[in-house]
Amino acid sequence: MSERLFHVLAGLYPAAFRREFGKECAQLLRDRFRDERGFVARARLWVNLILDCVVGVPQLHVAARPASQPANAPADGSMFWMEDERPLRPVFFACAGFLSLTVFGSLLVWMAFIRYDRENSLSAFLAAQPRSTKFHAHAVAGAWLQAERPPDEGSRQSGAVLLRTGLIMSPQINTPPPTAAAGEPHVEDATKAMVEAFRTHSIVMFGETHANKQEYAWLWSLVKDPAFHARVDDIVVEFGNSLYQKSVDRYIAGEDVPLEQVQKAWRNMAGAVGPVSPVYGQFYKAVRESNQMYPRHPIRLVLGDPYADWSKINNAEDLGPFVAHRDEWYAQVVKDEVLAKEHRAILIMGAGHFRRSNGPGLIERAIRAAGQDPYLVVFGTNVVGGYDDQDPRFDAWKTPAIVSLAGNWVGDLPAMPVLTCGAAAVNGLKMSDVADAMFYAGPRDTLTQVNVPAAELQNTEYGREINRRLMIEMGRTMTFTQPEETPQCHRPARQTVVSGPIGPSPLPMPKSMNDPLPPRPPSQ
Amino acid sequence: MPRRKLDPLPSTAFQILLALADRELHGYGIMRQVAAQTEDRLRLGPATLYGSIQALLEVEYIEEADAPAAGEADERRRYYRITALGRKVARTEAERMAKALRIARAKKIFGGEHV
Repeated sequence: MSERLFHVLAGLYPAAFRREFGKECAQLLRDRFRDERGFVARARLWVNLILDCVVGVPQLHVAARPASQPANAPADGSMFWMEDERPLRPVFFACAGFLSLTVFGSLLVWMAFIRYDRENSLSAFLAAQPRSTKFHAHAVAGAWLQAERPPDEGSRQSGAVLLRTGLIMSPQINTPPPTAAAGEPHVEDATKAMVEAFRTHSIVMFGETHANKQEYAWLWSLVKDPAFHARVDDIVVEFGNSLYQKSVDRYIAGEDVPLEQVQKAWRNMAGAVGPVSPVYGQFYKAVRESNQMYPRHPIRLVLGDPYADWSKINNAEDLGPFVAHRDEWYAQVVKDEVLAKEHRAILIMGAGHFRRSNGPGLIERAIRAAGQDPYLVVFGTNVVGGYDDQDPRFDAWKTPAIVSLAGNWVGDLPAMPVLTCGAAAVNGLKMSDVADAMFYAGPRDTLTQVNVPAAELQNTEYGREINRRLMIEMGRTMTFTQPEETPQCHRPARQTVVSGPIGPSPLPMPKSMNDPLPPRPPSQ
Repeated sequence: MPRRKLDPLPSTAFQILLALADRELHGYGIMRQVAAQTEDRLRLGPATLYGSIQALLEVEYIEEADAPAAGEADERRRYYRITALGRKVARTEAERMAKALRIARAKKIFGGEHV
């Protein structure tokens, strides 16, 4: 309620005031709505806010006028002239109160209508999905393995898939074929679109593709954008082990934290197999630099990967619970660190974790259950069928771009090829089924993946540790010969199975994947 | 002349200076302290509170402060503290009110009540 109210009030404030104190005003409303409960207190709060609009907002506009002043303003320029020297008569309050109540009432009715409309749309979408789903597995190229599970199975299943085979499970849903393309999409500058998304949503979920150079170059610039920085409180990332939240908090705040300590956050993830791309460490650095640029409102980097301590993991059984509960833990972190604090946040995680298949996934469901309406953006490509089926309509787009997927031909494209550079086959899902918007970094052949330099891995402690972990998870090691940049999209060896640098694991599924997460140790 | 912006000092601004006289507070803390000082008669809404804070910052009666080191501090909020100039202005205003109170007493405006 306080968030919605603030969006209404914020529109009444002068732009300069909104920029300077918008966050504080929103926080004040949150605090008051949290503390002033009960009928009498809440009624008094509403009266107080209406009077604040009637009296305080005009004063703000008077104060914001640089040179000219109203004819009846005092010569000394006091912004309080209305309150102190010309107190409003009761009839003014009555008229203004009536008008304000009318406006607020209309807005509340309008907001209720919008919500009703959205809920009905979602219900209609869910009702349209058939019950029968069948799943087929396919591996996806990339050192970092993802997993997505069917909505009616526990996450242990997804963790098992990840640990055992490194496969993405994608649902084969018997949905009707895409209809003819609708309207033209509104292609927006990605930064502008992301900032705009926070006007109407407190939570934006960004389904990324791992290690992509073009995507992360944009994300680094996004976190330094002043409008984005002003609107967002937290960034919740998959690429951060929550065991190291304390070190990262200090690092992001600008303190001198040894790199060897803070990089454990992105190098020691339970969900990562193999060397972790440098783009992630660079992202942490970008957030730190952004906070130094805008110290009044620092953004917090919240780590969403389970708290596995690799120094204590010696076999697959030790690791099992952490891998099995990655989505649940991420959702819990979002609930504790973002939703409970009524913060605005961008959530960054592999697109496979976020994208909808037969309705929202586990994390989105948890957010919706908490009363929020997240906006989901996923990374997409111009590949619309097989690997070589590139849609020329993307060529005219200025990148990086974000397009809404509602009511246009992009939303009607088959989702799986677009999301995976053609590695996954068409399965009936349209792009508008899986997300609200698509992020587009460029044509297939311009996309590159950033790898750890071989010199940092060959005969180094980090390289030896990577191979130790690979033996635990995959039962094999790897040689570190990849160049620092490789094409993001690989031509599939087969239509549904693509061998990545690390192939499927021959190891049996650890029994501990059925165990709950162990108690959380103190943050380091 | 920006210094003349709050001359005379409005009651809202005075209450905020009083709230900050003995400790640093964030916006909501100021609102609660002002409500306590005025026996809940004055609860500042966002526009009034932050409009006043903006004006007080401009004339340098208050300034932003680091979050207190105490455990209850919320590092994500902006804290404010009174400046030496602000303290002087608040004292002048209090003295003016005290003088008015003395005159009111002398003229027995309170009747037999002790105020």
